[in-house]
Amino acid sequence: MKVKVNEVELDLKPGTSAIDAVFSAGDDVPYFCSQEYMSPIGACRMCLARIGAPRKDKDGQWVLDEETGEPKIFWFPNLMATCTTQVMEGMVIDTRSEPVKRAQNSMVEYTLINHPLDCPVCDKGGACELQDRSYEYGSGISRFEFDKRHQEKHHALSELITLDRERCIHCKRCVRYFEEVPGDEVLDFIDRANHTYISSEETGLPNNFTGNITDICPVGALLDATSRFRGRNWEYHHTPSVTMDDATGSAVWIDSRTGRIERIKARLNPEVNKTWIDDGTRFGHEYVDDESRLLTPLIRRGGELVPASWDEAAAFVAERLSGMSGKDVGIAIRADSTVEEGIGALALAEHLGTGQIDHAPRHEASVVAPLARRATLTDLATADAIFVAGDVTEEAGIVDLRIKDALKGVAPPELMAHGVPIADLRLKERQPRDERMLTVAAPYRVDLMRYAGVALRHAPGQEASLFRDLEAALKATTTGGDAGEARAGETEPSGHGVASSDIRTAAERLKQGERAVVVLTGAVLASKDAATAALAFATAAGAKLMLIGPMANSHGLEVMGVLPSHANYAYPAMLETAKALVISHLDPAQDPDIAERLKQKDMLVVHDSFLTETAAIADVVLPAKTVYERDGTVVNLEGRFLKVIAAPVEGGTSEDLTGVVKRLGDALGQRLEGRSVRSAHRVLRQRMSIDLADLPEWGEILDVKPVTPRRDTSAPAMAETVKRRGGNVVVTASMVRPEYAYLNRHLLAERGGPTLRVNPADAQAHGLTHGDDVRLRVNGMWRRATVK
Amino acid sequence: MADAGQNGPIVSRHDPRYEVSIYRYVGVDGAHTLDFYRQHGGYDAARKALTTMTPEQVVDEVKASGLRGRGGAGFPTGVKWSFMPPPDGGPRYVLCNADESEPGSFKDRYIIEDDPHQLIEGMIIAAHAMRATHGFIYVRGEYLLGIERTLAAVQEARAAGLLGERIFGSDLSFDITIHRGAGAYICGEETALMNSLEGLRANPRLKPPFPAASGVYGRPTTINNVESLASAVHIINRGAAWFASMGTEDSKGTKLYQVSGTVRRPGVYEMPMGASFRELVYDFAGGPSEPAKAFIPGGSSTPMFPWEDRFLDMSMDYGTLAKNGSMLGTGGVIVIPRDKCMVDLMFNLVRFYAHESCGKCTPCREGVAHWMPRLYQKLVEGLGTQEDVDLIEDLANNIRGTAFCPLADACVMPVQASFKWFRDEYEYLAEHKVPKYSKNDWWQA
Amino acid sequence: MIELQTVTPFFEGKEERLDEILNRYPPEGRRSALMPLLWEVQNAERHVSEARMHEIADILGINVTEVKGVMSFYSTYYEYPIGRFHLQVCSTISCALAGSDQMYDYLVEELGIVNGERDAEGRFSIQKVECLGSCGTAPVLSINDTYYERVSRSRCAHLVEAMRKDELPEAWRERGSDIEGSQKASPVGTSGARGDDGAGGTPTGGGQD
Ligand SMILES: Cc1cc2nc3c(=O)[nH]c(=O)nc-3n(C[C@H](O)[C@H](O)[C@H](O)COP(=O)(O)O)c2cc1C
Ligand code: SF4
Ligand code: FES
Repeated sequence: MKVKVNEVELDLKPGTSAIDAVFSAGDDVPYFCSQEYMSPIGACRMCLARIGAPRKDKDGQWVLDEETGEPKIFWFPNLMATCTTQVMEGMVIDTRSEPVKRAQNSMVEYTLINHPLDCPVCDKGGACELQDRSYEYGSGISRFEFDKRHQEKHHALSELITLDRERCIHCKRCVRYFEEVPGDEVLDFIDRANHTYISSEETGLPNNFTGNITDICPVGALLDATSRFRGRNWEYHHTPSVTMDDATGSAVWIDSRTGRIERIKARLNPEVNKTWIDDGTRFGHEYVDDESRLLTPLIRRGGELVPASWDEAAAFVAERLSGMSGKDVGIAIRADSTVEEGIGALALAEHLGTGQIDHAPRHEASVVAPLARRATLTDLATADAIFVAGDVTEEAGIVDLRIKDALKGVAPPELMAHGVPIADLRLKERQPRDERMLTVAAPYRVDLMRYAGVALRHAPGQEASLFRDLEAALKATTTGGDAGEARAGETEPSGHGVASSDIRTAAERLKQGERAVVVLTGAVLASKDAATAALAFATAAGAKLMLIGPMANSHGLEVMGVLPSHANYAYPAMLETAKALVISHLDPAQDPDIAERLKQKDMLVVHDSFLTETAAIADVVLPAKTVYERDGTVVNLEGRFLKVIAAPVEGGTSEDLTGVVKRLGDALGQRLEGRSVRSAHRVLRQRMSIDLADLPEWGEILDVKPVTPRRDTSAPAMAETVKRRGGNVVVTASMVRPEYAYLNRHLLAERGGPTLRVNPADAQAHGLTHGDDVRLRVNGMWRRATVK
Repeated sequence: MADAGQNGPIVSRHDPRYEVSIYRYVGVDGAHTLDFYRQHGGYDAARKALTTMTPEQVVDEVKASGLRGRGGAGFPTGVKWSFMPPPDGGPRYVLCNADESEPGSFKDRYIIEDDPHQLIEGMIIAAHAMRATHGFIYVRGEYLLGIERTLAAVQEARAAGLLGERIFGSDLSFDITIHRGAGAYICGEETALMNSLEGLRANPRLKPPFPAASGVYGRPTTINNVESLASAVHIINRGAAWFASMGTEDSKGTKLYQVSGTVRRPGVYEMPMGASFRELVYDFAGGPSEPAKAFIPGGSSTPMFPWEDRFLDMSMDYGTLAKNGSMLGTGGVIVIPRDKCMVDLMFNLVRFYAHESCGKCTPCREGVAHWMPRLYQKLVEGLGTQEDVDLIEDLANNIRGTAFCPLADACVMPVQASFKWFRDEYEYLAEHKVPKYSKNDWWQA
Repeated sequence: MIELQTVTPFFEGKEERLDEILNRYPPEGRRSALMPLLWEVQNAERHVSEARMHEIADILGINVTEVKGVMSFYSTYYEYPIGRFHLQVCSTISCALAGSDQMYDYLVEELGIVNGERDAEGRFSIQKVECLGSCGTAPVLSINDTYYERVSRSRCAHLVEAMRKDELPEAWRERGSDIEGSQKASPVGTSGARGDDGAGGTPTGGGQD
């Protein structure tokens, strides 16, 4: 479709908005209300332009200009909002003429008459769209001499978000965001005309994705409460990295200043998180600069942990190690360690000759589906049938949002010369969602069920039987006929307690999908049995799989083979059987029994950022970089390799695991592989032919054959104490999030700590009452929680 | 005029061939009941349409009549009806716009109060023409009597089988829901009305999609004014040719004109289109009750004219008013007395639009709703200057044509007209700090 | 101090009425019942309290923020109770030309309350409103949604007096013109009204012969 923007001729796809035509011509128009990935609404009227188009006469011929003989351009009588105007063949868009300039001038003037102009004290100063646009398109003078509208300036919408109503320019981005993206209208305009203001009647903002409004607010009306008055935008160091909070690999900006993280913002990755992140990712960083942060190594001397240098600490460890058999040493790292850290840990294990190596938390079942059957987030967003087991909203928030994309049935937009289209005219306010395509199964009410055509609430721990029945129902529908019907119909609600009619509907809907996806969370993957049944169901339905690992790099560490050589060497067993332990970012001593056993180890080395309960009983404590301070690579739940970049944060002499490996190697007189990011990359190139040095900005899904660890057949029997202790408790998934919840002040205040939901009968059996603080083990990790 | 000949189109109420039709029973005691309505030929048109005409024939008849929407915009009703896509088995809606909130307009109110069955019959005909499955009447919240009467009428009609399944044995099944507004002029704008009906804040929606493609609940919808729908009854009854025998080239039929302000006999007068303002104001409304200086031709949103022969003699039709820089609007004529300060009067109107702005778009929320009334207030309080006068005019010019919906233009176009004809009053006020005309007490003992 | 009180749901025991309201709209339009539900509550309680907003949100399955957003958009839903006599004075152009500003001032003087207020007894509240569609019979005073038209000074005084005794006179139906009754308006131009206007002051002369 031929379009002319000022003097530039373009060829654009039908359906493109005029504003995107202007930008793809390399030109500019100001705008406030339009926002990538949201519906254009034409409210701010900032983007007005003079637009014309040729017309056809009755015979389908272009009406020609008598003078030039070219098709005559008929100008619209009024200036048009480019964001809501679709391009037409031969359209001419003029953004430079006098009437357009005059309109831009007036819109800036109108927008500013009620704006407080308190830029010097505004957190948005220097990064404010209104500031920029007023400068570029305003006249610089205001003829408004009356009192500005006075409204509340410090309204806490929640513990996490502060609203300054005077600054609001009514672009409606935030209101639309809640309706269009998470689909939960917890924020709205109140009143009308010039009295209109933003507010919420809810208690706080009960939604998992509230922080995004602080990114999209064009002015300083909506601000991240964790970073209020902390710094000016031009003082921040912006680090483009990736979330370590969950397995989605969402792109983030880490904004830091003088060695502190001040805030985290969403960064564009069109294939992963678009421009959204969940609140855990955004606000979960406050622990990093907690006073209790470890800054130097500690060595136990005379029963006390005393500060030491790295050389002393490394020498201490090397000396102890020389006195024992390397086979008896266990190495356990947290599942959000980078690929490079994993390589380092593997090199250390190899050097020691131990098969006792693991990452935790780790589900019983694999989180790596074969590439051909693995769903990408784009597959999910364009799926036509989705089955979700468990609480994705908590475990991997972006998965929740991409499912909601699918419900709208609008595929992600194609990128244009200037990036994501500013006004995607396929998106509408209050776009209907096809809820029939979504089934959600969980043992308790999860948020996503609100959007699901079928919600299957099943008895806890009965996932396997549920999936077996689903598969049976699927087969029944496939074979068709009365027999199948009857059989499916006969199925008595078994242990899972879900009505067979619901099972049938869910199975049929998935089966009907041509682009079906099954999403499995920890609820299923924690049990091999359940996972096997779920995979069989997905296979029978011809659906792709999205497996959500417990942490940011669960997929990567599994693929790299950071796994024990025998099941009895897995992390929980290792805590019992290994004679010495190197533990990174894990805190098993929260369990008093385990703590007792740990104290009896020949050596306990703990690599952590805080003096955890485990660190407190360690022989050597090595200060660790937090997830924000490491360079390296993580692999998200799609198998996408993503570059992690360290933010400049003050962490004393902290090292990440590659640093630990280097120090220990030096002390052991060995140049270990994986002693640095570069050396790890060399290993990967050589052994797996993958090159991580030049990952594209938005990462890349690599076809990597998972490394299977050498099998060890001579492992000792598992200690009795490690065997699973049963019990039907429901653990709400915020507990699967990284620790430090208690150090994230704002997040804790808004959300409360992790909760444990227990059936009253079970609670009684365990002697628990409401409000009890408990510790429990989830996937081999100990958590604190409050009983509800 | 009267001597235009008995064969030409009827363009004066004096024409002996002219007969009041829409308002025939308005004001008659008991006319709102089904019994009365039926005794006077009620529902014959609906029966005729449903039992002897195909939907296409009804649409064609309405097209041929030349009826244009009476809600203000004047869009040809038959053409609008023909925009409905072919039925797809899903719901399709007919909406009646009874939000009537434009200052100077009060014609629809009396139909729903005194002759609601006429409206219901019009909706049944429209439903048949567009194969609609359900109808809504959106009545402004303040018209409580009208709501009660219309609701009672719907119930009567339902009980009599005039609404419900297979009306008149045809395959039309149709019922009507009455939705009460709650005080917001913007709800008269058709897409804002749909939002309001759906239980949302009544901001206007983006067009396209147009209602015929995606209206209420995202389904094909056609919306018409009360008078438009009532007119359809008579068009079906008496034929398109009868309707088209009245009026001018581009404006056919009979129309409800309203007169208010300082005239002797304010009220609603049904007249053939093409009659002059003079005929309405003098011959029927009894002339101004005190010296007049201007009149608003079609509701407060339409630019005013000074009280001059050339304007009084204009024919009250769509084309003539457009040619003269104004609009026929709803046909609500407001007569403005000489002794009312024009600036104060415009302040009154600007304040109305300020109050009724929905707040969605910038020029309307900040310009119309915030800045303009403050400037007017300053002038009226005697604190204004020549710069303020110029500023008002400049704002009006800048806002014109930039807002999301027509409400802002509805405010600034009358302002511009007041400047065009009565700039001297603004300047007088700015210079002398007191108005040129200062009569204040308009209340009758 | 924390005050705890239990609120009996408004629609408790009114299930039939609730169903009737919900059934006015198709299933996909459940939310359409929002305005009628607000009316239902307000008609009974003269305002819609926060508790009622929550109740309505629950009935419709939406957030209470959305209820408040919609409710606050309109001028005639009230968050705080209005008086037993709620007076709405039209203040727009045609009524203004018939003295509505003076009528408002009179009422303010008489009742001791201004726009948006309710008196201490809870008898009167007053609201300035925009055009009520009664321009031909201006000025109009709407009392509890009943129109009192062509309210002259004396009629107004009479109304106030009656309301003070807790009486509300039957509304008189002012009409004019074509609405005056069965005998439709006949032209007055023939009787020669003229002369008292600014310009062009003559009838058409139509209908004279
Ligand atoms: C601000 C605004 C207010 C309006 N108010 C009304 C109204 O009160 N009644 C009405 O019938 N049309 C009103 N309209 C016009 C409607 O949008 C729409 O054009 C009309 O209802 C269509 O019906 P018709 O074709 O039968 O005239 C209004 C338009 C605007 C822009
Ligand atoms: S708070 Fe910000 S995002 Fe929301 S409407 Fe106001 S300016 Fe826009
Ligand atoms: S009107 Fe706001 S971006 Fe176009």
